Amino acid sequence: MVDTQKNLLIAERLLEGRAAGFRHPEPFRLDADVEAADLNAAVRMLFNTEWGYLAAITGLDRDRQDGEFEVLYHFCSADAVVTLRLRTGRETQRIPSVTGVIPAAEFFERELSEYFGVRVEGIPGEIRATGDRSHAGKSRQFEG
Amino acid sequence: MPGGAETFHIPIGATREASPGFELKLDGEVVVSARLLPGFDQRRVEIAAEKRGWQEIIDLLADLFGLCPHAHALAYILGVERLAGLEVPPRARAIRMLVAELERVHSHILWFGALAYQAGVDNLFLECWQERQGVLGLLESLSGKRLAYSPNRIGGVNFDLTPGLSADIRRTIDHLDQRARRYLNLLNRDPLLRKRTHGVGVTTRSQAEKLGLVGPTARGSGVLRDIRVDAPYSGYEAFSPRMVLDHAGDLHARLSVRLKEMVQSIELVRRILAGMPEGALVVEDFDGGIPPGETISRVEAPCGELFYFIKSSGGDRPARIKIRTPTQSNLASIPALAPGHHLADVPLLLAGVDPYFSFKHSAAVISGPDGPHPAWTWDDLRSFGIAHYGG
Repeated sequence: MVDTQKNLLIAERLLEGRAAGFRHPEPFRLDADVEAADLNAAVRMLFNTEWGYLAAITGLDRDRQDGEFEVLYHFCSADAVVTLRLRTGRETQRIPSVTGVIPAAEFFERELSEYFGVRVEGIPGEIRATGDRSHAGKSRQFEG
Repeated sequence: MPGGAETFHIPIGATREASPGFELKLDGEVVVSARLLPGFDQRRVEIAAEKRGWQEIIDLLADLFGLCPHAHALAYILGVERLAGLEVPPRARAIRMLVAELERVHSHILWFGALAYQAGVDNLFLECWQERQGVLGLLESLSGKRLAYSPNRIGGVNFDLTPGLSADIRRTIDHLDQRARRYLNLLNRDPLLRKRTHGVGVTTRSQAEKLGLVGPTARGSGVLRDIRVDAPYSGYEAFSPRMVLDHAGDLHARLSVRLKEMVQSIELVRRILAGMPEGALVVEDFDGGIPPGETISRVEAPCGELFYFIKSSGGDRPARIKIRTPTQSNLASIPALAPGHHLADVPLLLAGVDPYFSFKHSAAVISGPDGPHPAWTWDDLRSFGIAHYGG
């Protein structure tokens, strides 16, 4: 089995210069703060070097009062999990799509876009993932 | 309409908002492109979970994920226990692992039967679903429920394994061991199953890696990915299964992997029963509080990796739960795999990734060159495939 700590160290080195900061919230995890402008470069480093696969994208309200929002891109490689954390705000919920690097991310990005109201710029096509629903696209802040 | 006069748009999947589906674009009867249409079900589960107490969520997950209730409850509870810093007693861990492997067995039988049904091998479908009842009966004996079963509670399990139930489990899995080997034999010899699965939906290892496929779908393309081995949990550290791989990457390979895994799970159940530790079923000094923090929890559900992100703010309910099911990862492969296949292969192509969405009354041709077409149910599509292959 691949050594988890060595695996996380490789990921940290791959992300150097593309992440503003690193944390180890748990022994098997590495969190890396990224800016929107660096997101695709960071994703490319993890994906094109075959470090791991994109397991999920999580939308997270950091502060519902202030509308501070975070998008988490979870990459897995054996036991190790690297999370790219991208902060955005309610007024500026615009993030770049990563489908140019990982086409299979489309499902995750559409879900994020339509359930949280985050505008993911660059998702191919115009079709809504969930159809024309009156309550689609609202941010979770409004869901009580 | 792009693609010429013979281009059709076909949405496949439930039109109600509870389940995801697909839209296919056809040129004649050949798939040109496919698009995934996820439903609302997932987010509703997450929001529903965030409105419940930590312990209540276990029942919610068991109720909502009918084919693998234990896998969901386990992924959730392992994360919660990590946040709470709980060390679950060995016997409880072993019981959880036992239920997980029984769940894998009945899920793989169900899936093989469902695929046989899509291929028009109805006798095999009925036989598989009949055999599955045996495992459901064992789970009912343990937990009191045949479907929404879950022995779990935070810090351990609610139900113990009796000597009588252990004997029943041994008897049932001995029988299923023979059935699994018979299914493998059928898969390799039955002309119709061979015709419908060989060379269909071929995914190379490189494609599977890039698509992020998980579970038997990935292992059918030679990808070494199994959370029980990669990140062992709940006792798998001592009962690590040997990864079943097939490098062919087609539907036949995915079937073969699942049936071999069924045999392997049966062997794991025997080993777990033989090594079942004695002792407590639950942590004694847990006060119910979950400290603030975030964690990620992954388990190997029957369909593949199940991913949970859990955040606690220290309150009596979670601040956030994100669930990514294996179906979500594996269905994402369809847009890449479907183009070039005949429409007749679509039912098996979809069934091949072991999706968790409604198969019935859910396909409709909504437009073609001459305007709206009559609606197709999923059964229509299945019949079309069977007729095309002379079944």
